[in-house]
Amino acid sequence: MYRYDEFDAQFVAERTKQFRGQVERRLAGRLSENEFRPLRLMNGLYLQLHAYMLRVAIPYGTLSSEQFRMLAHLAEKYDRGYGHVTTRQNMQYNWPKLPDVPDMLDDLASVQMHAIQTSGNCIRNVTCDPYAGATAEEIEDPRPMAELIRQWSTLHPEFSFLPRKFKIAVTAAEKDRALIKAHDIGIQVVKDASGEIGYKIIVGGGLGRTPIIGQTLRDYLPKSELLAYLTAALRVYNRYGRRDNKYKARIKILVQETGIEAFREQVEAEYATIDIGDIAVSDAERDRIKSYFANPDFETLEDNPADFTKALEDNQAFRLWAKNNVAAHKADGYAIVNVSLKPKELAPGDITAEQMRATADLADTYSFGELRTTHTQNLVLPHVKKSDLFALYKELEKIGLATANINLISDIICCPGMDFCALATARSIPISQAIAERFADPERQRTIGEMQIKISGCINACGHHHVGHIGILGLEKAGVEFYQVKLGGDSSENAAVGKVTGPGFSQEELLDGIENIVELYLAQREEGERFLDTYNRIGMAPFKEVLYA
Amino acid sequence: MSTLKHKGKGPQAMTANELRDGFSVWLDENLDWSRDYANALRTEDQDLIDRMQLKAETDEAKNLVVGTYFIDVEPDTGLPARYREKFRVNGPSYDTADLLEAK
Ligand code: SF4
Repeated sequence: MYRYDEFDAQFVAERTKQFRGQVERRLAGRLSENEFRPLRLMNGLYLQLHAYMLRVAIPYGTLSSEQFRMLAHLAEKYDRGYGHVTTRQNMQYNWPKLPDVPDMLDDLASVQMHAIQTSGNCIRNVTCDPYAGATAEEIEDPRPMAELIRQWSTLHPEFSFLPRKFKIAVTAAEKDRALIKAHDIGIQVVKDASGEIGYKIIVGGGLGRTPIIGQTLRDYLPKSELLAYLTAALRVYNRYGRRDNKYKARIKILVQETGIEAFREQVEAEYATIDIGDIAVSDAERDRIKSYFANPDFETLEDNPADFTKALEDNQAFRLWAKNNVAAHKADGYAIVNVSLKPKELAPGDITAEQMRATADLADTYSFGELRTTHTQNLVLPHVKKSDLFALYKELEKIGLATANINLISDIICCPGMDFCALATARSIPISQAIAERFADPERQRTIGEMQIKISGCINACGHHHVGHIGILGLEKAGVEFYQVKLGGDSSENAAVGKVTGPGFSQEELLDGIENIVELYLAQREEGERFLDTYNRIGMAPFKEVLYA
Repeated sequence: MSTLKHKGKGPQAMTANELRDGFSVWLDENLDWSRDYANALRTEDQDLIDRMQLKAETDEAKNLVVGTYFIDVEPDTGLPARYREKFRVNGPSYDTADLLEAK
């Protein structure tokens, strides 16, 4: 786990102190709302539909158990007993009170956390493959690079007032679990022909009202050039981004309007003016950062210990959970455990303080004290011994977090929607719960197989509906909510934006329609096909027919 | 603050959020802020509407509330006309906190 250096610790402490003063002045009437609003937003504090909302940054989705306990403490002491994991791997609190927020930030600072740059037109929290450092699929752990970007982008004077917000995602695996093609910039760790490790840079992806899949800006960038090259790309965006129109101000529109070739030329021209040595960090500094992400002390273990295989044989529920929620680890005898935050009774991504604390304890006992948040609004325990899996499963069961539905139809990505969000046009949580209820039977979920449903409560698309196998967008007309459906979206390395099926539906019609879609898929699928494969093979028409039947 | 425009026709109510706690509030008949929409003053009387406007501006300047605005009200039901405002009246239809309280 990365530890703040002196600079980090000092700047977070200073910012918290500043914000305390700002809140005091606001409450005493010495700052107007117009003066205060940008200050609170810079510290992650929004005013939502019913109350304030504090968004806490979780850099690249990595947390220590100590930090997770602090998040539980915040939920309990200052909020209403729970938090919400967002699609950018952050944690949101729905009910903080303004006078408490400086204390919350102090508490966060005590475990090296903050809420800075979780709002505003700056470079936001860098998101990352939640399996980083644990999967054999990656070339190397991408988190040292993410940490480097965090340090570089934090309070970056040149990039604190960009035309619009700027989101970066990183991965080091071919299999994309970080949605890098739907970010302003996506970075993939790759190797060149000689085996040298560097970066592939994707630019101009994004969801929102204009969903666009990112394009390759550079196939290969030497490691040492990363910050200089990002600087060049951000400069071009900062200079030419559409500040005249909020809805056209993201880099994706600039890239689209300029064309990727011309945009690349602009970036390269800017890059040529930069003294790389001026921005690049030394190998020693890179090594220093990397050392914080060194492997924990893995034991030399047999890959499939007898007690694990026996537990699999003896306990069907455990077997199903292990099959669905557990992924392969790079070290023999270890596994990556996905903890679903989609039990039927909770809103997607919600977790109670009690569950946070218990999971932090489990991370200490079973996963070297480390946890991850995922953009699919779940948790990951990255390094669990296979011989401990059964015990862990039993413990998760006790706290209601052993739902075996990762990537199944009830593992829904869902934004807060009209239940909390000031920008929403319709609710999304009740839709996700109704779908989870309709497809509650675990056996049926497994029969359906991988199925990603993603729901947004407005065109801002925080619920990633554009890239859902089934995407659902909540809208409202004349006081009635209705839901538009997209099919065929893909959030993987083959990223694709789904296509709208046609007019929207009421909630009831929507549920029946989804059921019809599922039934058609089950009837049509060929050996080994997921819903998305069947859809891609037979196309929209037959699905549309049953959807509007 | 609502991003949606209200027509400003028919009965009106004045709403805002409390500065300290952030909760939604509406002006009541005594021109005090109430967290309960049932108490909200809903009126077409232009004099009253002017007084509500003045009170809202004063209390915003006094840092009691933020983001004041009038909302349209349905004459027959007395409920806010806009869907979003109906939601602000009711609070979340789902909140994990309610589940915890029920426990
Ligand atoms: S998609 Fe819309 S409703 Fe959902 S969280 Fe984003 S802004 Fe709010």
